[in-house]
Amino acid sequence: MTDDLKNLAGEIRRRNIPPRYFAAQLKRGVPAQDIIAAWPVQPRPPHMDRIGSRRWRRRLVIATYGGWLLVALLSKLLGAGDQRFLIFPPVLLANALAAFILLSRRTFLNREVLAGDSGLDERLVQNRNRAFRLAFQVFVLVALAAWAVSVTLVHQPSDALLIYLGVALLGTTLPTVIWAWREPDPPEPEQPAT
Amino acid sequence: MPPSIRNRIAVLRAERGLSRQQLADALDINVQTVGYLERGDYNPSLELAFRISEHFGLPLEAVFSRQPFAPMSSQLYRKEESA
Repeated sequence: MTDDLKNLAGEIRRRNIPPRYFAAQLKRGVPAQDIIAAWPVQPRPPHMDRIGSRRWRRRLVIATYGGWLLVALLSKLLGAGDQRFLIFPPVLLANALAAFILLSRRTFLNREVLAGDSGLDERLVQNRNRAFRLAFQVFVLVALAAWAVSVTLVHQPSDALLIYLGVALLGTTLPTVIWAWREPDPPEPEQPAT
Repeated sequence: MPPSIRNRIAVLRAERGLSRQQLADALDINVQTVGYLERGDYNPSLELAFRISEHFGLPLEAVFSRQPFAPMSSQLYRKEESA
């Protein structure tokens, strides 16, 4: 009896049957097995977990670069001589690491960005090439601007460190971030066969 | 942005009872690519377009078109009427 109940509860969870609906059907006199049988198993489509929604990915991108911007602004407000400045490099590194882990483990986009041609189909190869081309263009512009700023305007090592960390962040994440930004929402999950 | 090429992949796949994964495996492409093709978010290369139409055993123009497709049923009736 206990095993039956456990199995029943497990099936209800597995099929994601709303408990209220289940209770209402039971009240109507529909046998539990029939309610369960009429509710097909909804498989979790792996691709939805794989690349995530575009909105989620864009928020991650904004958080990644916004984190750097926030730290840069705070450090300018605090002043270079402030000892609290020492906390910022680890914060920036942690921010970059968190974004890297999320883009790699949650979406696997990083793996696709860094993959060779053999593991990718034509769409993915196109995406990767486009991401790297745009990343190169953006990175060259930013690196040149950063160099110009660092030799003309920057007199404090702390400011130079911020610029260095920003360029490093761009250099290590830009292709993946471009891919994450541009990839459309994943296709809608397929309806289970009836 | 290039104009989207219409296709009947979703209809043909459903007609044959294939899942996206099965079609992706048969065509040796990513399963998401099948979804993007069906949704019109991606235009295939000529090589992939030929592979898809060969997989369904249909001419290229039956699967892909630059114009919106007429419903298959109306095309079928028109053919029967003219025969």
